[in-house]
Amino acid sequence: MLSALIVIPLLGAILIGLLPRVSSSHAQTGAEVPDYSRAIALLAVTLAIFWSVLLGFKFDTSISHLQFVENMPWIDALGLTYRLGLDGLSLPLLVINALLTWFAIYSTDELLQRPRLYYMLILMLNAGVAGAFLAQDLLLFFLFYEIELIPLYLLIAIWGGAQRGYAATKFLIYTAISGVLILAAFLGLTWLSGASSFGYDPSRSQFLPLATQLILLGTLLIGFGIKIPLVPLHTWLPDAHVEASTPISVLLAGVLLKLGTYGLLRFGLGLFPEAWSVLSPWLAIWAVVSVLYGAFTAIAQSDMKKMVAYSSIAHMGYILLGAAAATPLSILGTVFQMISHGLISALLFLLVGVVHKKTGTRDINILHGLLTPERGLPIIGSLMIVGVMASAGIPGMMGFISEFIIFRGSFPVFPVQTLLCMVGTGLTAVYFLLLVNRSFFGRLPVQFSNLPPVQWSERIPGFLLATMIVFLGLQPSWLVQWTETTTTAMLISYPTIGAVGHSLTQKDKG
Amino acid sequence: MVSTSNLSPSTHPLADIIYRLENGGALLPDSPENVMEVVGILKSYGVVLDAYWRNLIYISEHQFLVLFPFFKYFNGEFSIGKLLRHWWHNRINYEFAEYCMKAMLWHGGGKLDAYLDTQEFCDRAQQAIQAKLRGNPLMQGVSKAFPDFLIEQVRQMAYYSVLGQFWRVMSPIFLTLSDRYDRGEIKSIPDVVNHVLQGLVRAADKPITYAVNIRGQEYELIPKSAGLTFLMDAAVPYVEAVFFRSFPFMGTVSYNAQARQIPPEQERFSYGALYADPLPVGGAGIPPTLLMQDMTHFIPDYLHRFYQRTPRGETDLRVKICVSFQKSMFCVTTAAILGLMPFPADTPDPEQRKKNRIYLENWMDRLLESRLISVQVCEV
Repeated sequence: MLSALIVIPLLGAILIGLLPRVSSSHAQTGAEVPDYSRAIALLAVTLAIFWSVLLGFKFDTSISHLQFVENMPWIDALGLTYRLGLDGLSLPLLVINALLTWFAIYSTDELLQRPRLYYMLILMLNAGVAGAFLAQDLLLFFLFYEIELIPLYLLIAIWGGAQRGYAATKFLIYTAISGVLILAAFLGLTWLSGASSFGYDPSRSQFLPLATQLILLGTLLIGFGIKIPLVPLHTWLPDAHVEASTPISVLLAGVLLKLGTYGLLRFGLGLFPEAWSVLSPWLAIWAVVSVLYGAFTAIAQSDMKKMVAYSSIAHMGYILLGAAAATPLSILGTVFQMISHGLISALLFLLVGVVHKKTGTRDINILHGLLTPERGLPIIGSLMIVGVMASAGIPGMMGFISEFIIFRGSFPVFPVQTLLCMVGTGLTAVYFLLLVNRSFFGRLPVQFSNLPPVQWSERIPGFLLATMIVFLGLQPSWLVQWTETTTTAMLISYPTIGAVGHSLTQKDKG
Repeated sequence: MVSTSNLSPSTHPLADIIYRLENGGALLPDSPENVMEVVGILKSYGVVLDAYWRNLIYISEHQFLVLFPFFKYFNGEFSIGKLLRHWWHNRINYEFAEYCMKAMLWHGGGKLDAYLDTQEFCDRAQQAIQAKLRGNPLMQGVSKAFPDFLIEQVRQMAYYSVLGQFWRVMSPIFLTLSDRYDRGEIKSIPDVVNHVLQGLVRAADKPITYAVNIRGQEYELIPKSAGLTFLMDAAVPYVEAVFFRSFPFMGTVSYNAQARQIPPEQERFSYGALYADPLPVGGAGIPPTLLMQDMTHFIPDYLHRFYQRTPRGETDLRVKICVSFQKSMFCVTTAAILGLMPFPADTPDPEQRKKNRIYLENWMDRLLESRLISVQVCEV
């Protein structure tokens, strides 16, 4: 049942690959050759969405262990098993993966060059990410984690901006190193623990010396830290975002970064609870650095897209804070933050994309008065205001719920770090208000007074995302119920983390 | 364009426009597109003005000293259907006419302003007030306690009437302009200006009067003997107040006095129809100018098709109407400038030409900050 989420997009990609190519003779004669690649891609992802939602309905929220498990031996000699499973951690991420891929395809320019290759790569990316979220075998996770690099690299390198080659190569180098580090940690864990397979087993590290655990966890943290990304491993991200086209930025921020945070919880916290409890104070400090650095750097940006990219870095820091605190509430908050950030950043990138398409610039020092009714982009501007309010954690929207749960969960364990991260929330309001104030308020300059009209097809994704952001901000329990049992059970299995949290709380009180 | 006269070249920043006026041109450059826009928009303006003047005259005559005139925009024809349509706002926004009336009231000008402060007017107004308040002890008490209160209301009613009378003349001028354009008689911007100018000249000496009928008796508030005439006491104060001083282009621009955006000398503050920014500023949801909204219902097909060919099509209709309207108002202003010019534009007398040049330069000083430069290149 779970394999369908990998197979459907792959079948879609194969089908697109089998479509007849628009030959040069057609191009010369000017004959219209209908291109079905976009329709097939949308259909495949729509099916994936339905399948994910169906799984969501069938998912038993009272069970903490894996559901719909598929287990198939693959290469016994390597200890590789095709083992998939679903729990409250991976289910929301699977849904958002399918959903944001649909938005990415829908908002892709229909006059795109080489559409067949483009849509095939997007579907392969979707399949790779779904596989990574479902994999319950370390090596299998690594394979999916690496597989998604190739389509993403090509999507940036072929359809990106002027510096796309540089950005794509930087992305590839960074994330390849990330993959190597993760593989090294997985191999180390499996071999040093004497296991015969790469199957996911939370109890595997408990017989390893703490120093070994710390080394392996450190390796994993750097590996996933690149992907998330955490400061100072983040430098690939702003370049990749600036050069990537809008739909790819949506996927990058909304889904791909979540592979890192998911890995952090599943494999960092999940496999090395004892070492995690030792490192957690340092992780919380790392979170503060990431949050504040990301926020302050965002304030200094004049490119809207870079600003949103740095805001992503800051918001990923909250996830590290929640994971470091490792209380049931903070872990629940991290999952909520992954979804919240996925939807909000997708909305912001989509809107920035529309602004860029209509005005030809993303520079907030040039843009002005875009909210102007009739001649500006008033609806896009209004959606942007919703997006930045959600990102800044205004109550009634998802951003508030996720940040509140994280801070509420982490404050008893790391009060100072939590308070410093809350400063980051205030700074989010600063840089996004700068963006909105400079670009959207005031008088529309003469050079922008005849902007091309915005089509409803360009507004619909924004409306849908904004609706979800507000709806889940008002009714967070719909999302929380999927996750709560799993995240609570994760920590019950690891008494060491709870003990650290408890002892720190006691020490603070003393 | 260069000066064809033997006067020394003007050093004014708008010298080219001065030369154009001296050579029989207008403030707005002449082009078939400009002619089509101006005539088309003046046609719809004429229709709207017709509705406005009827309502202004109705209010001045039938809502006299009605302090809570709930149904003043219904011209005495109240029905539930009309009320619903009024609330739905798919109607003529008579409020706009009132804003213009208030602009004239505030800025004054002409002999009308002076006459409304004379003892003669106060006496006449007092008679009408007494007649109106007969049998209403409450209002009589109010009138005694605040003797200026109702007089001021009567002054306002006088402005209702004067603006109504002004637009009663202007509306057919614009509608006949459109008819002549349709017959092929209007081909250039100077033709448009000349048509408006002739209309103003024909009506120049038309007397402005105002009387109300209370309980079967007529009370003359502005008698013919006051000597008020159409051009100098209605048209000129109107142009001054509405074109140059204040104009209710709601939501188009706001001034911040603390940021010194408003000059301390009020007479230096120019914010009229010729200065207003056609682009709404601020945020989504700011109401468009009521006049533009009203004109959307009556723009002729050829102008509508022209607007639809622009990038935003129907979406920014009111902005485009506003731009066309300002163009047309520069034509009306040209007519006023030429009509008030001390000597004929084509006078051979160098001394007279020199005085005309000074006169035009003074006008251009006033128009420096206006949208005059923008309409030369159709910029928004």
